[in-house]
This record gives sequence, C-alpha cells and structure tokens, in this order.
Amino acid sequence: MTSESLARSVVDSLVGRGLNDVEVFLKSGRSRRFEIGPQGRVASSSQEEGWAVRAGSDRASLFVAGTGRPALDGPWPDPDGLPLRLPPAARVPPWRPPADLEAPLSGETEAIRLLEAIEKGVSSELAGTRLLRGLLDEGSSQTSILSSRGIEETYRSRAASLFVEMAGPWPGAQTVGIAMARRELRSFHAPTIARRFVDRLLLQGEGESPERDRGEFLLGPALGVRLLVALLPLTVGGGSGAMVRALRDRQGRIGSELLTVTDDGRYRGGVLEAPVDGEGRPTGESVVIGEGRFHQSLVGWKEATRSDLVASGCVRRASWRDLPKVGPSHLFLAPNPEVKVATLLTAVARGYYLIDTQGSGQFDLEQDRFQLPVCGFALRQGRAAAPLAGAWLTGSISSWLRGIQGVARDLEFEPWSGMIGSPTTLVTGLELRRSP
Amino acid sequence: MSGLDATAVARCLSQMADHGDDLADAYFERLEEVEYPAADEEPGIRVRREEGFAIRLVRGGRTWLAARDQIAATEFGEALRQVARAQPSAPYPEPTLDRAPFPPLEDTSCLARFPTLVTRAIRRQLAAFPMRLRVRRHRRWIRVIGTQLAPEPQSESFYSCDVDLPWGRFGVLTPDLSAATVERLATSLTTLFRAQEAPRVEPTACRVVLGPHAAAVLLHEVVAHALETDTLMMGGRVESALGLQLGGPLLNVLDDPTNAPESVRRSSDDEGMIAARRWLLREGVVEQPLADLFSARHSKALMPGAARRGNRHRSPAPRSTHLELLPGESSMDDLFAEADGGLYFPEVSSGRLDPLSGRFTISLPYGKRIKAGSLGELLGPCRLRGTVSGLLSGIDAVGRDLESAGAGWCAKNGLKLPVWASSPAVRIGAAEVES
Repeated sequence: MTSESLARSVVDSLVGRGLNDVEVFLKSGRSRRFEIGPQGRVASSSQEEGWAVRAGSDRASLFVAGTGRPALDGPWPDPDGLPLRLPPAARVPPWRPPADLEAPLSGETEAIRLLEAIEKGVSSELAGTRLLRGLLDEGSSQTSILSSRGIEETYRSRAASLFVEMAGPWPGAQTVGIAMARRELRSFHAPTIARRFVDRLLLQGEGESPERDRGEFLLGPALGVRLLVALLPLTVGGGSGAMVRALRDRQGRIGSELLTVTDDGRYRGGVLEAPVDGEGRPTGESVVIGEGRFHQSLVGWKEATRSDLVASGCVRRASWRDLPKVGPSHLFLAPNPEVKVATLLTAVARGYYLIDTQGSGQFDLEQDRFQLPVCGFALRQGRAAAPLAGAWLTGSISSWLRGIQGVARDLEFEPWSGMIGSPTTLVTGLELRRSP
Repeated sequence: MSGLDATAVARCLSQMADHGDDLADAYFERLEEVEYPAADEEPGIRVRREEGFAIRLVRGGRTWLAARDQIAATEFGEALRQVARAQPSAPYPEPTLDRAPFPPLEDTSCLARFPTLVTRAIRRQLAAFPMRLRVRRHRRWIRVIGTQLAPEPQSESFYSCDVDLPWGRFGVLTPDLSAATVERLATSLTTLFRAQEAPRVEPTACRVVLGPHAAAVLLHEVVAHALETDTLMMGGRVESALGLQLGGPLLNVLDDPTNAPESVRRSSDDEGMIAARRWLLREGVVEQPLADLFSARHSKALMPGAARRGNRHRSPAPRSTHLELLPGESSMDDLFAEADGGLYFPEVSSGRLDPLSGRFTISLPYGKRIKAGSLGELLGPCRLRGTVSGLLSGIDAVGRDLESAGAGWCAKNGLKLPVWASSPAVRIGAAEVES
C-alpha cells in the first residue's frame, strides 16, 4: 500500500469512528551530518520516516504521532479536551519545484573539505585560531498532507545548515559562533565565512567601546535580523494589536517609509520554499509592514476565520512530532536593489558600522527599549577609523524602526524560528554604550 | 526491547569491527510521550511514540553512524552496510529483530487531573492568576549491544510540566506527580506571581545563600558542564584538569546515575558502559571528569560510563545524569546567620557557561533579602555572574539537609536531556548580583 493510500485509509477509518475532522501528515527523508570537534570527526547518515494524525469531533480531539507509517487500528487514545476544526481545501497556485531537489546530498569528503577550508582561511590571517566545532547538516524530504476536508498535497524540500564555533589565539578569548542555512551544502562559500570569522575575531581581540556615543549607524544584516526576531511577537499571531498601537506615531506609522517587512512561503531559492504550509494551505507573500505602516500579522486559517484578518499560509511544523504552529517562513526587511552597501557607507560622516552581534541582548517590546551587544568599526567620512567591540547598542525599538534612513540591496537570511532576513540599513537615533 | 537477538547483532557488529581497536555498537530506543495541553489548546490528548536504532563504528579519531526510524532486520542490514562502507566489503547477515510491540498506553488520568490540583493548591495559597499548564509523561526504553557487551535494557519514566505565565515561562521535571510535587509547583508559581511587584535588586556584591534547587542548577552549569570531556578538550588536554583545585574543601560533588530517583535510575549509560558513582570534585579537587568511550579511549586516566544520547540520530556525548553535592554541617539557620544583609535565592530559571573563558551567567526568577538571620522582603528577577573558579572557591558553607532538587532539561549542543540532582543549600562568600 502506498503512503498516500494508507493515509486515505487512516482518514476513512477515523471518520468511521465518529471523528469528523481528520488529517494525516506524512514525512520521510534522508539526511547527512558531518561534525569536527572534541569528539573527533563524526559522519552520520539518517533515514527518517514519521507521521502525525490530528483528529476531532465537535466535542473532543486527539493528536498522535509516530515513526514509520501509521497503522489503521492505531492504537488511538480516547479524544479529550477541545473540539477540533481543520482547514478546508483551498486552490493552490501553480508551484515550480526548485531544480536542486534532484541534486544528490554531499559526501563526507566534500563536507570535511568545506570545514577545513574555513579553518584554513581563518588561520592564514589569524595564526593560532582554533576551530572548536564545525557542524554541517544536509537533508531532503517528502511531505504529504491529506485530510477529510479535501486537502491532498505532496511536496519535496531540501535544506542544509552550518554551525561553526572558533576561538581567537589570545588568552581568555570567548568563542565566536556562526550559524547559517542554505538549500544545498555546496552553497556555503568557505572564503566568505572565513572572512566573517576573521572580522569577528579581530574585533573581539582589538576592538574597544566608547563610554557613550551617538551618530549614524550602518547596521549589517545580522543586526536587522536580530531586530526582526525581536519583533516576532508583533508580526506573528493576532494578539499584537496593543503593541502596534503603542508603536504608532501621529501619522499611523510604526516605522520609516523605508521599512517594509514581508513573509513569503514561496520565496524563490529559500530554504523553506514550499507550495503549501504545514496544514496544506497555499503559501504566498504577505506584507506585514508596508512602507512603515503595519498591515497585519501572520495568522493561520483558524485565527483568520475568527477575525477580519487574512490567513497567510504560514502555519509551520518543526517536525512530524510537532503540532502545526503559526510562524514565519522567510520573513524579511525588503531590500532596495538600487542601493549598494558602499553607497550607504560613504554617506556616513560620523558614526559606526556595526557588522555583527556579540550575544543575544535584550528586547522589551512593552517597555519599548533594547540593549544589544555589538561589534564593528567607528566611521569617519565613510571610512573605518577604529575597531569597536564590547559595546551595547541601546535605545527604543520605535526609534530604531523610525530611524531607518537607508536600505541596501544585500539581503541575507539567518536560521531562527524560520528564515529571517535583512539587508544592511542606515539608522539614526540610537546610542552606543560601554555597559548596558 | 525484548525480542532483540543480542548474539546475532553482536556477531554482525564484530564482522564490521575488524581492526584491533575498533569500537562498534548498536543502540535501540523507544520513546513515548503523552501530553495534556492547556485547557484552551487543541487538540486534546497528544501521544508521540517513536522507535529506531543507530549503528556506530569508531576507528581512531573518526566515527561513522547510521540511524533508522524503525527497528527491522532489513533496515538494520542497510545501516550496517552504510557504516561499513569505508571498510572492505563483507557479507552482513541480517539478524532477527523480532521486537515486541509497544506496550499499551498506560492510564493517563493522573496527567488529566494534575492542572486542577495545581490550581487548587495555588488558591489555597490565596493567589489566582492566568496560566496555561501543560503536563507530559515521558517514557524511554533503550538497549545497547556491542561486540562483546550486551548490558541489561534500561528504562526511564518521568514527568515534565511547562507553565506559560503572563510574565514568562516556568518548567519543572519530576519523577512523579505526587501531592508534594503539586505543592512545590504551586508554591513556585505563587512566589513568581508575587515577585512581579517586588523591588529589583540593585547591582551588588554580597553574601548569597542558594537553596538546594538553585545550588543544584548552579553546580550543573559550573561543575558538570565544566568537567565534561568534550568541554575540557576544547581547552586543551583533558588530563591537565585532573587534580586541579577547582573549589574549596567543602565541595564534594558526584555524578551517580545509580542513585537517581527510582524511575530514572540507570545501571548503564547510553553506550552500554557500567554507570558508577563518579567523584567529580573531592574536597574541591577534580578527580574524575564526565567521560564517554571516545574520550576514555584517548586517555587511560578517564573512566567511561557517562555517555548520553539525545536520540538515535546523534552520537553520544559525556553528560551528567544525577548530580549530588554531599551535605555539610550547617543548618539553614547557620547559613542565614552569617549572611546578614545578603540575598537568598531558592530557584534558578536558566544558566549558561562559556567553556573557554569559564564565565557563567545564572538567571534567578526571584529572591529574598536576609535580615538578622531570617528571610525578609521578596525581590524581583536578577542574575548571578562570575567565573567558575571564583564562584566555587567562594562557597564557604554547605547545608546539612540534602534534597532531591535541581531537575531540569539540559540543552548543551542541541542535545536535550533530562538531568537530575540532589543537593543541600550553599552559601557563597561574595557573589556578583545584577538586576
């Protein structure tokens, strides 16, 4: 019996037991993992297969998940708790699967070569630097969703992730870690990653912080990403009304006209690109903030039916074990394709180019304030004047949003809860401090 | 995990491990999690059941691992061939893996009742506040078979509880859902609620008394993580840590999985090695770091038996299972008596250690001021910062009353593992506290 026909039989069987709404989720895939670290070199390969069933009547519901394939006779526990309503089928716009789905997963030699190239690239500029841990994961999978409400979708995905942790050669050096995700392991560019490490490590070793300073801030993609991550309570879920009202100015804007934030489950070339979301609803582009004005947060089908919001096709499952949950797929601050980073850089007469964060920092949406440890360079007349590290970028979140004066074209995504992306931005109205 | 033909599995592994110092093993696991969500969450009861295995070959400094999401002879043969691909080809007969079906779902009524009992206990403490409580029962069965080793199957059973509160999240691990667990959780939640209006701690360096729970979490972060061989290897040679005076003479810290609460007690680790009472610190001196087979093969001074696996898809790593701080001689009154003007912290919400610099941060959800030998006003959330050596050498008194405390999820390097502990309270001479 094929997986799809088995799923159909499970749906029919549970409907026959009085559960009106039944959904079967199937996922299978292969993955490879390569690691260099204290445990030597580890090469792992996994074949994974799992399923999940959500089912309910108008009185109670259940969720069961397991490895392998579901059995017709369960065992199914007695439904409990709240009733369950599943989304109805909707027309799914045509989707062209990415060409790289057919590409084979990378081998051990290729993966180890990449990690060694990163280490070599860093060591050649900064002798004595140590690679503490390098981790590469790559996998491909097939997902099927079938429900008693007419949903029947199957699609394939692939993703690769990299995590590297290094330490500088000087005593008391703290670790520097970089996490990235792409569709293919072959997309990771060792010299670029090595460059980023060299910058971070050098800044950690040589940078200093002013006691307190203001000016123009050129914020690298990593900082824009961190801001968007902090804004997730505002951009995800329908309960963000009070937070939005608190951030609005007299013109009804929450940010500069250059601030447009979009989520797109079909982002071309994106790690999470898919035709449907975790409930089988069509994905697409949703504008959360357009030219500084808040449009609407990302909501699922159920929340949209209870309000005047539009469902965004943004319900995701972290794995087959997990329940679907509203979340971003590719949430990003829209870049300006006309503007190079260099153009913004040369425009800074006196300020700072902050290239990375040095910790998670603290963002308080209710109190409208943040503190973020950062590193980068002091800028004078568009040129790097001194290395900067151990500094805290501080201010109000609303000042950050309203202070965006320029947006470049270098959009970069980072793996957080979904892929979060930002280009370099030019911001005013913030402050640097030596201590938070 | 009955029905596995250990002899046939060992024979297959022996064929693959054809170099003198090869290590080969097969790890079989089954997991079951039953969850009752918060009252306003759908769907209702949630059951997750999974099983699978991993085959591992370690040769020199390299490890190959192949994992599957089912326990079946064909998949076992495939995985075996995959791991052995780097070796000369050899026939690998598929062993019989006639495993028994999953046991039937046990009665879950205690899970269903638990949220109501906690709410009632909170009301008895004259408090009421919105919260969303999820409770889960976790069960795990594992079997490790090596080329010459097939220890008894192991099993664990425990509960976890997550509570969403308007001011944050709170979680506990517990071996049971007894009345005492209900009361302890209700007290923690009620104190957290009351601490929201409490004044903040001004940044200060002062005497601090940590309750058994907070002391256990602190020791997990600053002793157990610091003495895991994968952490020590990041800093250089593991052997150089042996004999190091890490803390004062009052500190006797052990990891003893054989003395953990009964439902999570272990006689062997996740590599099938005998789990033993391991002195991490004896009178403050490093004696035996937490080691797995990989690190023990590279140093004769290390004793394996502390390996844990997050799941079958990940290779094992050295971690603590049940941490113990041996009691001292001070009563709580003694600890408070010499900490006038200091602070008392009974709980810890999270902790983090930078393995290279040895700096740590512990987040404390609330505290109390110590005045004239007793507890005074309630204080809001704050943090404790410092270095491992500074903190451990600053412990100047250890309580005499040992409590089972400090259980929680450890999430180092993406491995989410339940950890258990028993500890008395401790007093630190001078600790950096900041709001």
